[in-house]
Amino acid sequence: MIKVRVARFDPAVDSSPHYQTYEMPLEPRMTVMDALDYIYENLDPSLAYHSHTSCHRRICARCNVTINNKAGLSCHTEVNGDLTIDPLPRFKVVRDLVVEGL
Amino acid sequence: MPDQELVDVIVVGSGGAGLRAAIEAHDLGVSTMLISNGVAGKSGATMMAGADITLDGAGAAEIGLPGNESDSKERFFHDIVIQGYYLNNQRLIEAYVRDAPARTKEMIDWGMKYIWDGKRAILTQGTDLNQVLTDQIRRRHITMKNDLYVTDILTHGKTVAGVVGIDINKGMVQAVRSKVVVIATGGWQRAYSFTSAPGGLTGAMHAAVYRAGADLLNMEMVTFCPNVILWPPALRGDIFPYILIEMFGDLLEKHGRPFLRDEYDPSIYRIATTTEWNKLIFSMAATKVVLRGDGSPRGGTYYSIKNVPLNILEEAEKIYPGWKWLRTNFSDLMNWLKEGNAVEVAPAAHYMEGGIAVNERAETTIRGLYAAGECSGGLFGANRVASAITQILVQGAIAGKSAANESKKTPLGELDASQLKKIESRHTRYFGQKDGPSAIDLKKKVRAIADENLWVIRTGAGLKQATAKLESILSNDVPRISIKTQARTYNKEWIDAIEVESMAQVLLASARSALLRTESRGVHNRSDFPQTDNRRWLREIVVRQVNGKMSLTTRPITVTKLKPPRVRFGFEEGLISAVKELGE
Repeated sequence: MIKVRVARFDPAVDSSPHYQTYEMPLEPRMTVMDALDYIYENLDPSLAYHSHTSCHRRICARCNVTINNKAGLSCHTEVNGDLTIDPLPRFKVVRDLVVEGL
Repeated sequence: MPDQELVDVIVVGSGGAGLRAAIEAHDLGVSTMLISNGVAGKSGATMMAGADITLDGAGAAEIGLPGNESDSKERFFHDIVIQGYYLNNQRLIEAYVRDAPARTKEMIDWGMKYIWDGKRAILTQGTDLNQVLTDQIRRRHITMKNDLYVTDILTHGKTVAGVVGIDINKGMVQAVRSKVVVIATGGWQRAYSFTSAPGGLTGAMHAAVYRAGADLLNMEMVTFCPNVILWPPALRGDIFPYILIEMFGDLLEKHGRPFLRDEYDPSIYRIATTTEWNKLIFSMAATKVVLRGDGSPRGGTYYSIKNVPLNILEEAEKIYPGWKWLRTNFSDLMNWLKEGNAVEVAPAAHYMEGGIAVNERAETTIRGLYAAGECSGGLFGANRVASAITQILVQGAIAGKSAANESKKTPLGELDASQLKKIESRHTRYFGQKDGPSAIDLKKKVRAIADENLWVIRTGAGLKQATAKLESILSNDVPRISIKTQARTYNKEWIDAIEVESMAQVLLASARSALLRTESRGVHNRSDFPQTDNRRWLREIVVRQVNGKMSLTTRPITVTKLKPPRVRFGFEEGLISAVKELGE
């Protein structure tokens, strides 16, 4: 099991972001996108992260987030242990990990 | 709902066909808006294409490429008909071969990088194509609306009045009014679990035009790309082994045997390893291998380069320096393969020959509504071998021109407020419902039906089952969907809810068409009807909504020049005779 700490923020309701931690199984060579999908499908459907037109091929770059303090594409970054996921810095947050203009 | 915006032409879809249509409409002097369910330049299937543009050798010579002048548009036309098993609308092919050289020249003039293959193809990359077209859009300052997931066509009487959808980031229903609408939204591959296509290709606009009363055509025709990576997850869905197999390597069954080479006629093996017939042939052969129990643990086959000499690989690496292709570095995979390993691959939903019915002017059966590119049906009949990139460029430009000309003589349709209100409440009802099914579960259930019953090889029993399940989901489950998340901004449950409705509608059209076509033709293969039957089935299947019910009819194919033989043949027999006819 791993702990995935995700920045949650709804500008319409929250004054500032906060972290929410999810526990989930680590599958061999799973990606950050797989982890987010797992959380959305099994633990918390309210989590917002970009995926609706995601290419999964490093081309569109719209799934770009901050993974353990480093920018990375969630579709191609493999998970090896506990994670902290934030939105990309300096972008206006739509909700949680989704930002405007990406 | 905010005030509606007004334009002459709306183009829905920001892949190659949509971009090219918007350029054409704008250049003809009408106000044009390009609407994307993602972001123009960062969504759609074009950016992920291999890719090539096909045109005849003489046409290539006309635009200054060293093309073979003994080739001709007539021969290219002939080949596309044979490749399509005669199901093609021949008027659409005439437009394709006629306009291919001009559209190609224009892309070269706009700065597309390319290699001419000496025969009928210009090799390029989807990322570059997309960039060149997006630059042209920006240069013209064409209005773009991003992350607006269009779900419905607004109509006024029998004409078009605009579109409506969900602004995903704002979390609200949004309408845009226009005189005419061009649909250019690609296929509906995402209705399957395993696909090479990007997110967003869920058939939302196929379902929308169907609900608006337009015809869908040959929806049973789905091409699978045979060697798409199953594992590791970071590369899942990638078609790189498919790109490689045209140069080297082979697909193996679980004992390590190259099944296509061992079990099929040499001429079939040859066209499968040297032309885009590879999609149909390898998908069929690989699926048979898996069905007889000789597949890999994850339900595919293996791609191997074990017998390829290292200096041949070094030569190939010059084409893809550092084994980089599109934006991915495959050097780890290539090194692992060079050590003698084989990567698990499987057929993935890849291209739709069927779609919105159009004529050679890109007109649908509704006035003011046009369709271009993969979302339209009929050009490639039952099997595509020629380029889908040429299709998006040719049909995109035609649709843009038809739409612009029509918009000049059409007044803006009145907005039917009650229609808009009905659509809005259809989308927002999910928030008030407490005990219904979740969109997440329903989406999985719907995809499982496609995976099981609408895969490479179909059966009558499976298609009947799929039809019953989808009808039940559409009438019992979709209307009761319950969304738990109350925040409407980027609400993934809401996106899933609107996607699952269109996926189920489009899959139902596909399943019922596949059930009706009691033969095998091209990519549509029925194990209970293995013969291609030109005596009974040189017919198109049309799906339309009549009095709220899905109705299917058939009509004869459109023939202009090449008359089909009235014969019956099996899969391999058909391929061997096609090879002879094509002189390949």
